[in-house]
Amino acid sequence: MTDRERDYISNDKAPWKSPVALSLGMHAALAVFLLVGWHWSTPTHEPPPRSIAATLVMQQPEPAAAPPEPAPVPDRQQQEQERKRQQELERQREQERQRELQRQREQAERQAREERERQQAAERERQQRAEAEAARKKAEAEAKERARRQAEEEERRRQEAARKAEEERQRQQEAERRREQQAREQREAEARRREQERQLREQQLQALADKANEERQAERQRQAEAAAAARAREAQMMSDRDKYQLMIRDKLRQAWYIPPSATGDMSVKLRITLFPTGELSSVELVRGSGNGAFDQSALSAVRGIDRYPLPDDQQTFERYFRQFTIEFTPEALR
Amino acid sequence: MARIDLSRTPSRLAGWVHRWPSLSALLALLLFAVPGHAELLIRITEGVESAIPVAVVPFKESGDLPAGDGVSDIVRSDLTMSGEFSTLSPEKMLSLPSRGDDVFYRDWKLLGQRYLLVGEVSRQGDQLNARFELFDVNTEERLLGETANSAVGSLRTLAHHISDKVYEAITGVPGAFSTRLAYVTRQAQGGRPLYKLQVSDVDGKRASIRLESREPILSPAWSPDGRRLAYVSFETGNPAIYIHELASGRRTRIASFPGLNSAPAWSPDGRSLLVTLSKDGNAEIYRMDIASRALTRLTNHWAIDTEAMFGADGESLYFTSDRSGGPQIYVKYDSDAEPRRLTFGSRYNARPRPSGDGKYVYYVHQREGAFHIARTNLETREETVLTRTLLDESPSVSPNGRMLIYATKQDGQSVLTVITSDGGASYTLPASEGDVREPAWSPIIR
Repeated sequence: MTDRERDYISNDKAPWKSPVALSLGMHAALAVFLLVGWHWSTPTHEPPPRSIAATLVMQQPEPAAAPPEPAPVPDRQQQEQERKRQQELERQREQERQRELQRQREQAERQAREERERQQAAERERQQRAEAEAARKKAEAEAKERARRQAEEEERRRQEAARKAEEERQRQQEAERRREQQAREQREAEARRREQERQLREQQLQALADKANEERQAERQRQAEAAAAARAREAQMMSDRDKYQLMIRDKLRQAWYIPPSATGDMSVKLRITLFPTGELSSVELVRGSGNGAFDQSALSAVRGIDRYPLPDDQQTFERYFRQFTIEFTPEALR
Repeated sequence: MARIDLSRTPSRLAGWVHRWPSLSALLALLLFAVPGHAELLIRITEGVESAIPVAVVPFKESGDLPAGDGVSDIVRSDLTMSGEFSTLSPEKMLSLPSRGDDVFYRDWKLLGQRYLLVGEVSRQGDQLNARFELFDVNTEERLLGETANSAVGSLRTLAHHISDKVYEAITGVPGAFSTRLAYVTRQAQGGRPLYKLQVSDVDGKRASIRLESREPILSPAWSPDGRRLAYVSFETGNPAIYIHELASGRRTRIASFPGLNSAPAWSPDGRSLLVTLSKDGNAEIYRMDIASRALTRLTNHWAIDTEAMFGADGESLYFTSDRSGGPQIYVKYDSDAEPRRLTFGSRYNARPRPSGDGKYVYYVHQREGAFHIARTNLETREETVLTRTLLDESPSVSPNGRMLIYATKQDGQSVLTVITSDGGASYTLPASEGDVREPAWSPIIR
């Protein structure tokens, strides 16, 4: 607020160059001071409106500079010039008289003003003393106030600092607490996670175990069923085996001409391999009898069957009849 | 044709087991559930009862061959007579190959033949050349491929030789077709009987008369070498035992004791004869050394002991005795042993003929009024009646033990019949004039 006042004054210094203006300004300033001086000391008084000073300044405009005289025109112009010079002289005299009047009036004013100024100075001195006293008191008060404020401020700052320290401490505590909590939470989360993983693993293991168990049971079931089916099938195959074994035996019996040299203790073993069609693939003499004619008779008998009777079932064929051994031994001759 | 290389399987399996142990275990378990099985074994203990079918294809003939039966005809006849074979009539043959290369086995198989004999005979000067091949129709194997020759006049000898070869190749037993028969015929001539001792081929062909007599001729017996015959002749009015050399016709009367002189039988070494003599009171069995005529008495019993014959071992003695009340077969295993009775099945069992293999004894067996030929298994003592004819007598076993010839009555006439030694198939020799009796089968003549 005060900074702004000072700026205003300094800015207006330049236009006050003429003494009149200066005098007028001084008077105006005094008047203003007198008008507003009482209120000045009032700390709570609002600053005077700017418009007051401005108005005073603008009522004393500076006389405009005379325009340059035009050059006189010869002959007529000289007459004209002479007339104008007369007029000018006239006017100058008038002006001289005016200026004398002005000077007298100013003299009187100066005397009055000086009187007034003396009074004003005295008043001012008195006022200044009072003002000084007031200022001193005010300064004291202000100093006290400042000190109090400072103290207060100090206290406030101290408190603030303490509060801030406390806050900081608390904040740190809080942070610490949060860290700890976070750490704890992390630990807990980790533990939970591990526990979950463990449980998951356990569940998975349990699931696997259950599954394996189920599979085992299913497998057992399957095996039991398969075994039952296999037994049934086995029985069928055995039955087929026996049936076709008998058929083959009959065929061979009808194809075997026991040679007269045969005796009951002779035996020849042949391994025969059949095609699934029942045709003979190969014959192998596993063990001869030592009697060529006897061996020959067996070979001939085996070869003499165009088509061996075979079960339709491929598996039975593969298991029993793909390859088998035939023993020729004429027990009846014993 | 797919071939499975089984030799590689084990290593593959091992690798697989290595890679999949758990699966393998499961598989093993599954396999275990299936009862393991040994390879199937089928035992054939009986064969065809009927004769072996043989096709004897008429031999291809070239050159001027003797008239009459061809070689292949004789072979076919021999094989048929043996009772072991049935031969295919040539009219039923689909082709007549003479060499193995021309044989279509399927044809012969279709005809149910098991063996096939093909061959050819040609004459070269005074010689007959034969080439023959025997095949197994089933195995398509050639069992024989030989040549043989003979004099032109010995076509039958050639044929019997081939028969023997074929027979042996198929049966494993030497053939007996080249052996001979001795027998006695009796025919009425001028109101009186005329007896003839004859020798023929086993098929009755090429018979030759070795002795003619108005008196009975009995019990011809072949020496082991087949060159001599011993027999009983009543030509003197009394029975006497003669030894007759076939080649020379020389005869020697070696036993003409008072009473019975009968039932000569040769010892295996051909040096002595078993004879039945009653010179000492009743019929007893003696052994006579041919060279010295020395006698050894082998039996001593109040009953009749006769018809003695050595067993295959040359020691044991088989004979007929009625010491039990009726004729029965006894055996004495050595000279000191007590005779053991072998036959019990009926009240009449006589004329024992032990087989060359020592397994059987053949004899005449009476049952329900009829006379049959029977045999007893010497090991099991099991008796089997072999003939269905009614008045059978004089059994004689072929040297290979496979055939048996005996005399029987056919249409009131005595004929000779050949059966297999186990009583199979019978073949009656072609009738000659009159009765034919007392057959004796020669040994194999080398």
